Amino acid sequence: MSRRALLGPALAALAALAAASSLSAQDEPARGGDPAQVVGPPRGQAFSGKALDARTEEVGGLLRCPVCQGLSVADSPATMAVNMRSEVRELLSRGYSQEQILAYFEHSYGEFVRLEPPMRGVNWLVWGLPFLALAAGAFAVTRVLGARRAAPPAEPAPLPEPGTLPDDPELARYVRLVRQRAYGWPDGQPPEAKA
Amino acid sequence: MSAEKELARPFNPRVLLVGLAVVAPLVAVLVMNLGRDPHTIGSPLVGRGAPDFALRPMGGGDPVTLASLRGKPVVLNFWATWCVPCFEEHPVLVSTARRLGDRVRFVGVIYDDSEEQVTSFLARQGASYPSLMDPGAKTAIAFGVFGVPETYFIDAEGKIAAKQIGPLDEQTLAQKLELAGVAP
Repeated sequence: MSRRALLGPALAALAALAAASSLSAQDEPARGGDPAQVVGPPRGQAFSGKALDARTEEVGGLLRCPVCQGLSVADSPATMAVNMRSEVRELLSRGYSQEQILAYFEHSYGEFVRLEPPMRGVNWLVWGLPFLALAAGAFAVTRVLGARRAAPPAEPAPLPEPGTLPDDPELARYVRLVRQRAYGWPDGQPPEAKA
Repeated sequence: MSAEKELARPFNPRVLLVGLAVVAPLVAVLVMNLGRDPHTIGSPLVGRGAPDFALRPMGGGDPVTLASLRGKPVVLNFWATWCVPCFEEHPVLVSTARRLGDRVRFVGVIYDDSEEQVTSFLARQGASYPSLMDPGAKTAIAFGVFGVPETYFIDAEGKIAAKQIGPLDEQTLAQKLELAGVAP
């Protein structure tokens, strides 16, 4: 089948994805520390009051606390997380969108700071492979089940012929013993052969 | 007879191919990252322009901007008085700054600490360069600081040439200074 033909391009695409994602970070021009210089003017809705609290919690939940073990900025009591939370809050109140805020933190901390890997480059593997594996498994299962259904029901193994005892009398004794146990033939001889 | 057949099953290239397709990428990822220390996360800012800031120096005065420091290499040290490794590297930084004079600009950025604490710390331990207050750690966030001490080596053109996570000793400091264009 063409499975071999598929594998080559698939591996090549993987390598290209990896190369593209490592290149893209290098070519960006130098930027300043002002969020507007990094992610442009605010492109979202400016929040205040209760809505601001809720949005801060939501966006903070998408950022990794850099000094914790797998905790989000919203969940961590660490000083760094508290500072980042208030930065998120301020950016939200100034009208920066969620994607702009995540991009701003990513600019200085790297992709690591996002708790959810963004859908781009090699990250597509993280999102796509589980579904791909599921589809491959489903394909394999349907194929095996289909083949089993298509095959004619297996016929029971034929009973041994009466005259098929080995020549070796010692061996023949055991074979008769087995036949007696297995088929219930007295003395290991088929009934009709006895008759 | 049939058991012998089972044992002498002919080689199936398909099985090998599928196995390789699964194992090869895993091995590749493993090999690619073999030399990397999993505890250090490289800064995406190294090689890029340093984020500008305008921070008030300790004890008052006009805000200091990174742009105003351009033209000479800058050593930007994020630190706090409550941080033990910062205490350890402090004498190294102070003496090196003194020795290099106006060839390099050393700047401290206070991370999550009070001005009184820092003032009394510097009075006791000595100082040879200014420290700036960073309310809300905004500059620390813009530089991608994880914790203190962290030191950024910015070259004369304003590009981040190197970053040090953790305390500096004389040797590391000299190495990183060289990366920022400071001859030893």
